[in-house]
Amino acid sequence: MPGGERRRAASAEAREARLAWCLAAPAIATILLVALFPLGWTVWESMHLHDLRMPWLGRSFIGADNYVEAVRDARFRQALGHTLLFTVATVTIELGLGCTLALAMNRAFRGRALVRAAVLVPWAIPTVVSALLWRFIFEGRAGIANALMVDVGLVREAPVWFIRSGLVWIPVVLADVWKTTPFVALLLLAGLQNIDASLYEAARIDGASAWRQFRHVTLPLLRPAILVALIFRTLDAFRVFDLVYVMTGGGPGTSTEPIALYTFNTLLQNLRFGYGSALSVIVFAVVFGLALGYIRFLGAGLTETRG
Amino acid sequence: MLWLVLLATACRSTPPGGPAVITLPASMLGAEGEVLRIQLARFARLRPDIRVVQRATPDAADQRHQLYVQWLNAGASEPDILQLDVVWTPEFAAAGWILDLDRFHPPTDSFFPATVTANRWRGRLYAVPWFVDVGMLYWRTDLMRAPPATFAELEREAARARAERGLRYGLVWQGARYEGLVAVFSEYLGGFGGRILDGGRVTVSSPAGVRALTSMRDQIYRQGIVPPATLTWHEEESRFAFQNGETAFMRNWPYAYALMADSAESRVAGRYAVAVMPAESGGRPTAALGGAQLAINANSSHAESAWAVIDYLTRPEQMLERARVVGQFPTRPSLYDDPALARALAIPPAQARAIIEHAVPRPVTPVYTQLSDILQIYLHRALTRQLEPAPALAGAATEMQALLDRVGLGEARPIAGR
Repeated sequence: MPGGERRRAASAEAREARLAWCLAAPAIATILLVALFPLGWTVWESMHLHDLRMPWLGRSFIGADNYVEAVRDARFRQALGHTLLFTVATVTIELGLGCTLALAMNRAFRGRALVRAAVLVPWAIPTVVSALLWRFIFEGRAGIANALMVDVGLVREAPVWFIRSGLVWIPVVLADVWKTTPFVALLLLAGLQNIDASLYEAARIDGASAWRQFRHVTLPLLRPAILVALIFRTLDAFRVFDLVYVMTGGGPGTSTEPIALYTFNTLLQNLRFGYGSALSVIVFAVVFGLALGYIRFLGAGLTETRG
Repeated sequence: MLWLVLLATACRSTPPGGPAVITLPASMLGAEGEVLRIQLARFARLRPDIRVVQRATPDAADQRHQLYVQWLNAGASEPDILQLDVVWTPEFAAAGWILDLDRFHPPTDSFFPATVTANRWRGRLYAVPWFVDVGMLYWRTDLMRAPPATFAELEREAARARAERGLRYGLVWQGARYEGLVAVFSEYLGGFGGRILDGGRVTVSSPAGVRALTSMRDQIYRQGIVPPATLTWHEEESRFAFQNGETAFMRNWPYAYALMADSAESRVAGRYAVAVMPAESGGRPTAALGGAQLAINANSSHAESAWAVIDYLTRPEQMLERARVVGQFPTRPSLYDDPALARALAIPPAQARAIIEHAVPRPVTPVYTQLSDILQIYLHRALTRQLEPAPALAGAATEMQALLDRVGLGEARPIAGR
């Protein structure tokens, strides 16, 4: 009987669906517990007045007041600006340098394996250590960078980098570039190795110059790898904390304070849980939006290269 | 983490007739931990009915503060006794986290008045001063005959030392953006006759305030006696500069005195003395007040026993021993006439006492740390020439006043307990 078979099939399907839900349940529960619950809690917290250090103020529901305060908070807006500046500067330089490095490492030469491993060393060093390292390089008369600049005759006396609101960005950006370029280079190298060598052969036969080969063969085919590198680096740079915390503490004044450091100070130094949560939610929204935008972009890039 | 503390508290019980257990978080490191262990052991023989348990806590002030706030917010009854930084007492008192100690009739007249003022909130005493720290001017006895009384004199002497003796710097202090910068600024400010706070009103942007900050900035960029690098320095960097003989003056805390006396490490051993910071006419010489106090957790189940411990630790003999072993200054002025203190301390007690008598507490308010946070930023902006002194202080004052108003402390009502 076809009807009975259909029923059996339907119940089997239902069973299978049930089983699927059962199997997925632990994963869903885990995600709810570790991702969504804390997020929801933070949003809830952000709508309260909650100053751990001022219990006499109570802990009342204040709706969007914390968000209104954030919008009016000059230090918060500046921190957002510093974060953007840092992100754009480091990601641009790292992508350019990383691409150059990857192209160089992609060529066959003796000791290539050794070079590839060596290039990764800065990436392997913990950020706190490399931040301290770069601070020492630029600090005081004994700092290598300062001593070198004087020895070469570039300047008569080295500047005190960490008290100049503009100059201070140079050591900060340099430290991040030094540490993270290898990571970008490695990602791009993987992309380069996926490109079919016959394409270059064909281009050469057609008489394409090296630049045209790069422009019309390498770059389009490298696009997915570039986009992956971009996503990782942008999101990382946007959340920068340890590097700045160790190198400048956000100073001089607050002129290198990124958003993550300001949020940390608000939440964990001043213990303003309500306001700090509001700042965290805003940062989350920005990062989430960036990720979403990139994924759209990346998706488009992938289908394009496939077609 | 909090639950663990609560759980541990709930499970702890005093067996009937057994000793009351008092927990005391304090530094367990080095000489400081050692002297406390010795004193508590003596106390145990004196009072077998009380057992004191030492708790390891972070030595860094920020971390210790954060831990305390978490414990006390959760209503934990442990630790029973708290070692507080001088600027925390009003915060903890206003939050209702520590006991009003007036019920135990503490001998407030026996302590330096400034240390008592700093520990009062709304007229009641909340903590007993344990040892005292003050900002002071270190000066080179081989370069001049007497310490400068005014900033103008200091600048002259510093310039002379640089010109004639080829010293690299004239004066060094702590200029990084942290609490130390506010301590230094408060000394300049007092010297020019200004105050950070007057009751619930922020007065830091007064003409005296602007003159004080301008003087600090000009010493860096105009007279050139303070190195710009000072704006990245904490206590130790300044000590290294002074100890290497690179500067004629240094503003620092007492700890540096004994460290620089060792001629194996110090180039200035035996060639320095301390004095109170200078002042202009209209101001008075000012020493920022630091140090530690002991308070009782408001939820402690053994307040009486906790008081017995505090009373014992702050007795004259214990303070003398602390001075000898750790070099920390007693909070009782009477001890400074005791020859035992002269033997115990590296600094001549008369010099120390002369400075402590000029000690001024930083603003006594529950929101001190937040106010200081704002002030640090604006001071640093002015000193790194991102802002002129007057608009910098005006900006700081606006934000500080807004904070006071927001938390209900902004009225003209005097908030320094008298």
